Amino acid sequence: MRRLSFFLFLLGVTAALPAQDPYKRIEELEKRVQALEERLRQMEAAKTPAAEPPRAAAATPAPAPAPVAPPAPVETAAAEIRSSLSGYMDFHYNKTRGELSPGVLDFHRFVLLFGHNFTDRIKFWSELELEHALVEGREEKGELELEQAYLDFLVKPWLNVRGGMMLTPVGLINERHEPPSFHGVERPFVDTVILPSTWFDSGAGIFGDLGRGLAYKLYAMAPLDATRFSAEEGLRGGRQKGFQSVTERPAITGRLEYRGVRRLALGASFWRGRTGFGLASVNPRVRVFEFDGRYRLGRFAFRGQYAQVGVSQSAELNRALQRQTGVNPNIARSLRGFYWETAAHVLPRRFPHDLALFWRYENFDTQRRMAAGFLPLKQFDRSAWVWGATYYPEPDVAIKFDYTIVRSQSALFRSLHSVNLGMGWWF
Amino acid sequence: MKRLLLVLVAAAATASDAGKDIKVVHVLAERFVYVPSVVKVKRGTTIEFRITSEDTNHGFHIPKAGINVIIPKRGRGEAKVIFKPTEPGEYAFECSKACGAGHTQMRGVIIVE
Repeated sequence: MRRLSFFLFLLGVTAALPAQDPYKRIEELEKRVQALEERLRQMEAAKTPAAEPPRAAAATPAPAPAPVAPPAPVETAAAEIRSSLSGYMDFHYNKTRGELSPGVLDFHRFVLLFGHNFTDRIKFWSELELEHALVEGREEKGELELEQAYLDFLVKPWLNVRGGMMLTPVGLINERHEPPSFHGVERPFVDTVILPSTWFDSGAGIFGDLGRGLAYKLYAMAPLDATRFSAEEGLRGGRQKGFQSVTERPAITGRLEYRGVRRLALGASFWRGRTGFGLASVNPRVRVFEFDGRYRLGRFAFRGQYAQVGVSQSAELNRALQRQTGVNPNIARSLRGFYWETAAHVLPRRFPHDLALFWRYENFDTQRRMAAGFLPLKQFDRSAWVWGATYYPEPDVAIKFDYTIVRSQSALFRSLHSVNLGMGWWF
Repeated sequence: MKRLLLVLVAAAATASDAGKDIKVVHVLAERFVYVPSVVKVKRGTTIEFRITSEDTNHGFHIPKAGINVIIPKRGRGEAKVIFKPTEPGEYAFECSKACGAGHTQMRGVIIVE
């Protein structure tokens, strides 16, 4: 462009010169060219400050328009990874055989995740979830939940600091719950009624990679609320979910994970805290312990989990809640659950699609041990068989089918047979 | 014939030297870990990372080196990254493609001794 302008200018000058001796004319032109070169040099010198780093330019109150230098390739890559948006969804059809209610279509989860890197060492991550598609005030409808919103401060590979709204680092599913990453339309029962996924709350903690395949997390988080525990769903109702969470005595939770062997993952986690902040006379201590494993061998994948919960002072807790509400919630002293799952990927590797057939056995009892004077409700000592298939037209899209039978130890309650269809994606 | 032998010996020596300087590291990326997550090399070594994913797309970003590549999804091939650190020290690498709820914890480190 400059060259073109210069050329046009030169043409204009040439045209403007009166007819004269060609040598004189050449001399005149040379002088003008020299003058133009000098002027160009001055202009270039004036532009130099604008080439300083953007930070300096941003600090100037009213920067003059300056030519923008093409960014280096590295800077371009950094800009692309600075902020990110992703998400997933879970769309289900559930039909329980023999029940009067018809099948239910439920847009179970629609989730958006946002992240931003302030620097290479300060990072933000968040997860906003809409459950059951509709949220209305004071109605028993869906939920809008801020499941994650935290800042990471990276210090060393083995020591980093995290604070904000965080996922409790307990169990297989709670931190890995994207629909294509597990089989079955619904999450395992153990990860619902024994470990209350999605389990999240406010807190802060440290995490890091210790080398040799070992990684850890250790957080102080808002505790559970014992006034909302139940016989059927255990701790699930007690999650404060970061809504003005009471944190008089924070709970401590942690996880140790081993990934030293390819395709093998072993984990153990715990949670312990006082949960009676809503009660005057009793302050039960809750202890959660679990261990889990995953392994992939050729076309087969295996995973298993064991989880146990202990609630101290459960008799006093039941009596205190009965005084408040008039109903004995029959909260257990001990809850336990475990499952085993085997999956086989049946299509040849060269196929662009994937199909996994799986089965899972679960055993979960929210009334395993009761305090003296309280009887366990046998309908909450349950087992489940889940058979199904997950079809991946591409790795981030999962179309799921399963047939589930849930049995309880009570003779008064029939087995529940259900057919479930689901669709989930991740991007 | 002598010339031919000399050329063959020289070629073999060159190939041998190149093999010494390049360390091939196979990395498995999966929500939300790299296996291995710690890679140790001697100074002057060129590392050739061959990275596959067990699930979705992941990123392989070495901020200090300005390297950033996308790892293909499961069954869609591998990403190759050649990295020659010139200075001893720790070079962190991290996932640069949002991959799930635990995306920010997907990290590793290259230790150059």
